[in-house]
Parts: sequence; C-alpha cells; structure tokens
Amino acid sequence: MAVSVNLKLNGAACRFEVEPDERLVETVREKAGLTGTKLGCGVGECGACSVLLDGKLVCACLVLAAQADGCEVFTVEGLAPGGRLSDLQRAFVEEGAVQCGYCTPGMLMAAEALLRRHKRPTGEQIRQGLAGNLCRCTGYTKIVAAVRKVAKRRAARGGRR
Amino acid sequence: MARALKVLGKRTRRLDAEAKVTGALVYPSDKAPDDMLWLAVVRSPHPHARVLGVDCAAAEAVPGVVRVATARDVPGENAFGIAIQDQPVLCGERVRYQGDAVAVVAAESLRAARAGAAAVRVDYEPLEPVVEPEAAMRPDSPALHPGGNILHQGHFTKGDVAEGFRQSHVVVEREYDLPMMEHAYLETEAGVSFYDELGRLTVDSCGQYVYRDQTQIARALGLPLERVRAIGAHVGGAFGGKDEITVQIHLALMTHLTGRPCKLVLTREESILFSTKRHATRVRYKTGCSRDGRLLAVEARFVADTGAYASLGGPVLNLMLEHVAGPYRVPHVKVDGFAVYTNNGFAGAFRGFGCTQACVGIESQMDLMARAIRMDPLAFRLKNALQTGDRAALDYEMKTAVGAAATIRSAQKGKLWRGRAAWRKDLRKVPAALRPHVKRGLGVASQMQGMGLGIGLPDYCEVALELGPAGDCTLRASTSEFGQGAYTAYAAMLAERLDVPMERVRIVGGDTGLAPDSGTTTASRTTYAVGNALLMACERLEAELGRLAAERLGWPAGPARLRAGREPRVQGAGGQAALAGLLGQTPLEVRATYHIPVAEVELGDGLPHLLYSYGTHVAGVEVDTLTGEITVQAVEAHLDGGQVILRTGFEGQSEGGVAQGIGYALFEAVEFERGRCLTTNFNTYVLPTSLDVPTAIRTVPVVVREPTGPWGAKGISETCMVGVTPAILNALEDALGVRFTRLPVRAEAVLRALAEQAPGGRAGARTRRKGS
Ligand code: FES
Ligand code: FES
Repeated sequence: MAVSVNLKLNGAACRFEVEPDERLVETVREKAGLTGTKLGCGVGECGACSVLLDGKLVCACLVLAAQADGCEVFTVEGLAPGGRLSDLQRAFVEEGAVQCGYCTPGMLMAAEALLRRHKRPTGEQIRQGLAGNLCRCTGYTKIVAAVRKVAKRRAARGGRR
Repeated sequence: MARALKVLGKRTRRLDAEAKVTGALVYPSDKAPDDMLWLAVVRSPHPHARVLGVDCAAAEAVPGVVRVATARDVPGENAFGIAIQDQPVLCGERVRYQGDAVAVVAAESLRAARAGAAAVRVDYEPLEPVVEPEAAMRPDSPALHPGGNILHQGHFTKGDVAEGFRQSHVVVEREYDLPMMEHAYLETEAGVSFYDELGRLTVDSCGQYVYRDQTQIARALGLPLERVRAIGAHVGGAFGGKDEITVQIHLALMTHLTGRPCKLVLTREESILFSTKRHATRVRYKTGCSRDGRLLAVEARFVADTGAYASLGGPVLNLMLEHVAGPYRVPHVKVDGFAVYTNNGFAGAFRGFGCTQACVGIESQMDLMARAIRMDPLAFRLKNALQTGDRAALDYEMKTAVGAAATIRSAQKGKLWRGRAAWRKDLRKVPAALRPHVKRGLGVASQMQGMGLGIGLPDYCEVALELGPAGDCTLRASTSEFGQGAYTAYAAMLAERLDVPMERVRIVGGDTGLAPDSGTTTASRTTYAVGNALLMACERLEAELGRLAAERLGWPAGPARLRAGREPRVQGAGGQAALAGLLGQTPLEVRATYHIPVAEVELGDGLPHLLYSYGTHVAGVEVDTLTGEITVQAVEAHLDGGQVILRTGFEGQSEGGVAQGIGYALFEAVEFERGRCLTTNFNTYVLPTSLDVPTAIRTVPVVVREPTGPWGAKGISETCMVGVTPAILNALEDALGVRFTRLPVRAEAVLRALAEQAPGGRAGARTRRKGS
C-alpha cells in the first residue's frame, strides 16, 4: 500500500506516493528525478547518498521516505539555486577536488554539514567530518583542501557565505 | 621544446567539474529513457554447480514482469570475454562462480524485476569448488574449462640464475601472498539500452572501450556490427574494472527481446560478486646481489588466481613477467608464471595490471638486499637503475626514454628523504605517554609500467577534428572519461597546439555512433595516444586550411594556421583572412590515426612494451605498537610522466593512487571461503577514508621527455599507485624491523609479528650471506 509523504525538497513543497519500505534515496532519485544524489552501497557505508534532513546529515539509503514525512530535505541540487555555484562548489572546482565526481554530491553535503557545525574547523575536524564519505579517485587531499579554503573564507567574512 | 607552453602543465580546471558539483552530470546509473523496463539478474549463489534446470513460470507470473530470459534466449554466441570468450552471457549448464548470471528479468519497475528474479527457480547440483590455484594446476584437479585449469603460463630466462646466485654476496628468498582486490569505483556497473533514431540496438553504459563492447554485444546477439551502437562517455570510476563486459549484453538482449528501452544498475553486492578483480597472487622471489650492491640474479614464480573466466588474465600475468625485475638492470633472470582458473570470483584488469604484484615482490627484495649489504636503499636502486640502451629483464633493449634514475634522484633530493633522520624521531603529535610505544619508519619503492598494449595487439587511435567557421573545435575520440581527466587533457592539448581557447573546444567521446575508434581507455595510454593522434589531425587541418585558401583565395600553396580572437582568422603564405569567410557555412573535418609504436623484438603474447613510465615513492608510516595500528603519515611521489599536461589532474591522479596503494597495503582483501565471497559490501570490504590517507602527499613531476609522446608526455595513471604499496611495506620494516609478506597488513598482523619478534618468538628470515 502506497502512503503519501510531504517533503520540503530544496525549499519546494512536494508530495509523493511511496511504498512503505521505500528509501528516501529512491524517492529523491526516481520520483523527484533529482539524480545528483547517488547510490553507492545502499548500506550506509559510502555516503554517496548524503542529504541534509532537517539540517542533519543523513544517508538517504538508510532513511525510509515515510520517516521523512514533513521534513525538509536538502540535496546537492539545492546548493546552486538558479545555477550560481555556492562557495563550496566553487572551491571543489578550483581545487580539483572532483575526478569521476560520483562521490562529489555526497561530499558536498557532508562538507556543508561540517561547516555548519564548526565555524573554524581544524584539519582533523574536516577529515573527521568527511570520514563517512568514500572517494575512490582523489585520495581526499584536494577535497580536504577545498573545504579548508571555504572554512577560511567564511571565517574571514564572519561566517557569511 | 624551446617555445614556452601556454596551456600545458598549468592548473587547468576540468571541463566537467561544474556539471559534477551541481549534480547535473548524467551518469549511466542516472539515465532513464521513456517507457523503460528495469532489469534484474539472477546470479548463481554457488561457486560451482551444474545447472539442471531453470523454471521461469513463477517469475513470469509476478505482476509487472514482462520477460524473463535464460541461456536459450541468447540469439548469438552465448559467450563473452576480451581475450577469450569463455564466459556465458547466461549460464545454461554450469556456473563457475558466485555471481555468474543465469537469467535476466525485465519488468515495469525495479521492485517487480527484483521480485521476478527472486521467483526464478534454478535447479542446481552443487559441485566441489576448485579454490587452491596450486592444486588446480595439478592434472588430478577437476577441470573448470575444456583446456584444463591453466589459462596461461609464461617462462623466460636470461643468463644463468644459478651462476648469478653463485656470484652473489647476498641471496634473499621470500614468498609474498597478495590478496584479490576490488576496484570499488563509486558508481556500480550501470546502463540503459534502446533503439536509436537509426534503429540501432544501442547500449549506453559504463565500458572502457565502446568499439570492443560493440563487437561483444553484436557477437552475443548475432547481429551485424552496424546494427549495434555502444556508448560510454562519463562514468563514475573504472580503474580497469569496467574493461570487461558487465551490463552491456544483458541490456542489449532484453531490449532485443522486448523491443523496449531497458535499465540495469548493479547493487554493490552484485558488483563485488560479479565483476573482475585484481588477481590474488602467490609470488616467490629469490634475488642476489654483490657486496658492492650490483643486482646479479632474479628468480621468480607467480601463481595468479584468475578465478572462473579468462578476461584479461593472460595479459595480466604477462605484465608480471615483464616487470619481474622492476626498473633494474640484472644479468641473470628466470621467471615462471601461471594464471590459473578457480571458482574464486573472477579476475582481470586493474590499475597496475600485474605490475602491482611484481612490484611488491621485487621492491621488498630490493630493500631486503640493501639492508643485508648495509647500503642506502635509494643508492642501491640508483646503482642498478635501467638506462636507455640497457637490456631489460626479459633480454630486450630499452629503446625509449628511461626515467628510473631520474625519479630515484628526485626522491633522494626530496624533503621527506633528506629529512628522514628527524622525521623518524618526530613524535610531537603523539601524546607523551604513548611515545615510547610509537615507531616511525620510512620506505621507498621504484617502479616502471608498460604503456599501451605491447606488441602483437593492434594499438591504434583514430580521432576526428572539426573546425567550425566561428573558430570552435570539436574533437571526436571514442575513449571514455571515468574521472581521470582525459577529456580536459585533450582540450588542453588542442588549445596548446592550435590557437583556440579551451572554452571553444568540445570533446565528443565514448560513442561508436559519433566518434571514431580511439582504442581502449586502459594501459595508461589515452593521453599519449589521443595526444599524438590529435597532433596529426591538427597538422592535417592546417594543410587543409592552406589548400582551401589556395583554392578559394588564390594563396600560394602551404599550410595555414589558425589565429584566435573574436573573429578568428587564418594566417598563411597569402597573409591573413577571416576563418568564416574561408570556410563559409561548412565546418572543416579531418581525421587521423596514430599507431602506438611497438618494440622491435617480439617475445610473444604482447610482450614486451616499448614505452614505460617510471616512478619512485617515499612513504612514512607511524605504528602504535600497543594496538598494532598503522597510519601512513606522509607520501612523496616522484613520477615521470614526461611533460605534465594538467598539473592539478596529475596531482589528483597521484593522490588517488596513493589512497589505493594504501588500501592494497593495509586494508583491502576480497575474501573467500570455499569459493564463497565473504566481503560483498563496504562494511566488510573496507576502503581507506579521509582519516587513512595522509594530507601530506607531495607529488613531484620528474620530466623525462618521451620523444614519441605529445610534447614528450606519457601516462601516469598506473605508476602513481603501484609503488605506494611496497614503499609502505618497506617503511614498516624500517619502523618495526619486521618484514611483512602478506597483504593487507592489518593491526592483528602487526601485533602477531611483534609478539613473534619478541625474545622467544620466531622470526624467520632467509637471507644467506657469504662468509657469515
Ligand atoms: S548509498 Fe547510502 S551510504 Fe552508500
Ligand atoms: S571523485 Fe570518484 S569517487 Fe570521488
């Protein structure tokens, strides 16, 4: 039996008919057509499906769509509304933090979450904050560098983007 | 090259970066043609079994299921494989590993397809799995294939190893046990299929060589080549693991049977069970050197577990043999190798392609010997480094630029090695109470890696270059982009060669319908091969522009060059003219085919290569002797890729290679129990995270120009990973005095080794020193 779920998806109110055992990642990718959120393992190990659920970083492969009813869901597509890249996205491009790019949306969401948590993160906090997201291409070096760059910029601007 | 470079070697941004950070780039797993069916594959749960029957009735009755296909439905040859077609598209009689496909279900939804797959009843008669390669080679072993279990063997000798060992002051013998490794690209195998506007059966998926995919699809479906189109441009990682057919034929088959578009995305579990891996290999080495550090003899034996089917097992073994002595000069060599069929999964191409296994062996041996004669490990390597004109291990002459010595010298001058004494003692970041229990060590490893396919296999690269009247360029080359940055490299090379800004260059790749055959996207070959082909195309383009100018503007004969600007112009023997005026409405297209040069000698089976890239790695590790925990603290990569094309991309490849080398050394192993895979997702197959890879990775380009390379460039996509693993093993010996010969080295292994090393423990070294 399908159930109705209301989500605020990247700011827009949406309603989906979902299966009771349907995972949020499926709803976002297949029903909302937002394929920026990826599916890498399905068991909460790779972080490719990371989204912000009411501001909290979650693996969308571990959350049932029904559990997200009434919540705000924020995906990579929400980072650049109207096509203007966010500071994080720009830093990923500038630093060369993207190779195949399959981990990138999840990494961006994890980075966004960690920067909201720590206004002035240490290198260690950045690596900790990204440790739930696997990347097979970059060795993480340039991803960490990109996040560090944004942290510095935001700090210099008193926390504003 | 006298002229300063405008574009190459700079921190150029990737062409596709913006599409990737916004989530806009559509990967194979994101495609969804209208009216598509979802596929699910029924795979064998048994490592080895006879298939007595397949009953699809219940599956066909599942609501939403449209079609179930079994071996009987494969219209052409029910077999695939890059080198030898020994793997069924759908198994009808026998399954040879967990993951072998038996049936495919097409349904209106993914759920229905999965429910259908679960309802397919396969009657298996389990057979005793063949799991030990050594035993599998014996004549009394059950044979997995008609020709027996030895897929391929190779034997080479040079000089007389017995004599070499007699002359040696030190002889070291060790056996190395190397695990099967999973590529773990973040995007699992995925794709869609449909009939295109010309009615061609089209598969848009994740392969590494669309023209070969096209051939394999056509053969299995019994269709003429021109009725099949294969696409594979932007893919979420590959590393060799998508070189073999994965989803392509199943997709084509179901569209062929249903007439509808289809989509198939493997789950991570399926991907790990089903796809090719790095060969688990048992490696035995015996090496000897003189008192003053001359490498005199190398004897080795490789037994590579190739799993259930051939794929590229033969060529992978060949590269182990070819690289048996690393980048070193040695007069006496004997090497034997076997690639053996078993029921342990399925092995094939993986970054390093056999060099990886040989490198762990020879580089461990080099360190052991250096230690035994009390020689500095880099000095020892430098003393034996191959030079152009030397005879390689398999007794052919090294003809091209050899960067071995240059990378070793670069490592000697590097910060990490120069500061090694202080680095080893630097425990400032360790809490004071723990310091007595923490040990640091540094290790090095040097490597060479054959580039391209070697001799005997056609290794060509065709590209098409189109210049539009507005001055925009389109390069069509069929290679794929898995993240390595190839397309950006092509655009940078074009921008360097022609006076065209990178923003005006468009790359059309990975499509047999749109791009000519540029060969496989493997073997560190694409920058080199496509680069050369595009240089040829540029020359043709200029000749053609000159011809047009002569014809249309009455210029004297001779090539004409492009001049960028808001209104692009051509310049030649007759002065300057507007490009738009010269071309009119019609773009100008030229084509060129480059053949990768090969060695003059032929040792058989694709051996040897003519071109190699080189690298030397220095790794620093820290070990907590209480917990056994190892952390890699610093890595320096001195890589000879000739001229660097993209500086950021070069470093990025290197950093990713370091992470994979750490994974191979310390984390990763696909494990089997009697042919059953125990590590089918990332909770049991553990990959390095951001906490396991040092932030201190320094990549130093060592530019030894390859005269045949575009601007002197060659590939580094494999060299950047291969040396990392033995450098870590050597660093561990430096830190702990323990030689690890079994990968991965996890904390338990460290604690065990330290216990054995303690007084009363047994520490077994087999180093024979003359007169001691
Ligand atoms: S797909 Fe959700 S964590 Fe991997
Ligand atoms: S860029 Fe490929 S997985 Fe991270």
